[in-house]
Amino acid sequence: MARLMTNLYDVSKCTACRGCLNACKDSNQLPAVIEPFKGNYDTHGGDTNGNTFTVIRFNEHDDPVDGVRWNFLKYQCMHCVDPECMKVCPKGAYTKLEWGATFHDEAKCIGCQYCTYACPFGIPKYRKHTDTVTKCTLCYERVGEGLTPACTRTCPSGALTFGFRDELLAVAEARAKYLRANGFPRATVYGKVELGSGTNKIYVLTDTPDKFGLPVDPKVSANTWVWQDWVQPYAGWLIPIALAGSAISFVTTRLLASKGGDHAEGGHE
Amino acid sequence: MKWIPEYRDDVPRVERFNAVARITHWGHTVTFLLCLFTGLALFLGGVDWLAAIFGGYRGAGLVHRIAAVGMTLMLVFGTVFGFTGLIAWIKDLLRFGMNDIKFLCIFPFEFLGFPVKVPPQTRFNGGEKGNSMVTPTMVILLVLSGYIMWFPSIFPAGLVRFSYPVHDLAMIFSTVMVCMHGYLGSFHPGSGESFWGMWKGTVRADWAQHHHAIWYDETYGDKSKAE
Repeated sequence: MARLMTNLYDVSKCTACRGCLNACKDSNQLPAVIEPFKGNYDTHGGDTNGNTFTVIRFNEHDDPVDGVRWNFLKYQCMHCVDPECMKVCPKGAYTKLEWGATFHDEAKCIGCQYCTYACPFGIPKYRKHTDTVTKCTLCYERVGEGLTPACTRTCPSGALTFGFRDELLAVAEARAKYLRANGFPRATVYGKVELGSGTNKIYVLTDTPDKFGLPVDPKVSANTWVWQDWVQPYAGWLIPIALAGSAISFVTTRLLASKGGDHAEGGHE
Repeated sequence: MKWIPEYRDDVPRVERFNAVARITHWGHTVTFLLCLFTGLALFLGGVDWLAAIFGGYRGAGLVHRIAAVGMTLMLVFGTVFGFTGLIAWIKDLLRFGMNDIKFLCIFPFEFLGFPVKVPPQTRFNGGEKGNSMVTPTMVILLVLSGYIMWFPSIFPAGLVRFSYPVHDLAMIFSTVMVCMHGYLGSFHPGSGESFWGMWKGTVRADWAQHHHAIWYDETYGDKSKAE
């Protein structure tokens, strides 16, 4: 496997300018989505949608000790190392690129939205006018040309960086250590071990993940793995067994009837 | 070799299913099979030829939804216009007794064609009672989980996630029952006569007396005349 390339997002450097959101829209040629004002700074209701691959979330957290903290969070596809969307997709529209991006091929997508509900982060979103699901591509075409993703390129404060995952993890750990010593005792790295094998987006958080609206321990729903690991591969075999049983009976009833009188007659006798 | 028992109008026949029951039954047959084959295109994976029959995956999805609405309408139709029949059906299912348990124990031999002595049965025998309980329950589950998956945004995400395995399992159990039911209700020499009960509405009186003695006696036999 090639060396994984990933995005590091350092919350402590983010100013929530939303330049990444605009650069993403620009690069992916996505139209603006106008949504009603909901009484806070969140655009797009604080969640991705079919025409918005990344958003900045504004989490207000009232800490009993530190007072009100305004926690910004860039939210987009986490490009899980072992992505669940890829497992549930019945059309094989998802592939894992060699360098780590979880790529969704819209041409293969039929808009069933299995991935939307399997994703532990609820990222892939249905887009009505194309009848497909869409999500962040980690700018695979830009990365393929040796460039960095659009969001990373535009980030003015240096909160976003792009590079090799192992190197960025070391940077992230060092940064979290620095933050813990300098006023953020609960600073942590997110994405290293989450979901077992980690994600291909690394976050440096100034507080625990729940203060940013992230799942502390993201999990694949039991419904999803029962469905994928048991029902899909095994339970369906009951149907050919039933058909085979009928076929055997079709033969044996006729063989036995030819020996022992006409079973088909109403009375049997 | 005979495929299904011959329809005989020269022997006494008795009514088994009225028009509403038959329309509901065949309405479900058509919509169920359409839903099954369009759904299998997605369930099996890699069967592009199956999807191609319906005009590709999007076409199959459209047929699946139209047939699903048809299936829902058949449920409503059967419940509204065949309400008394539905109640009678449920009442018969609640008569599940020792004769049904005995039936189920010796049924494998009957299924393969060995001559066996079956205890007297009510309108629906032990196997039919099982099918009558499992298949409609599964169809109701299919319909409910199907609409949840069709309009996921108006339901809680946890319920949508739960609907996927439910829809698949209900499909599998109902299809297993439909395979057995379709075979027993047509090509099986012993019970094939019941095909005419669902197609033309009547079965041979001697067949009914032999296979559903309790029902026959209560409906057409001495007991019904005595009342």
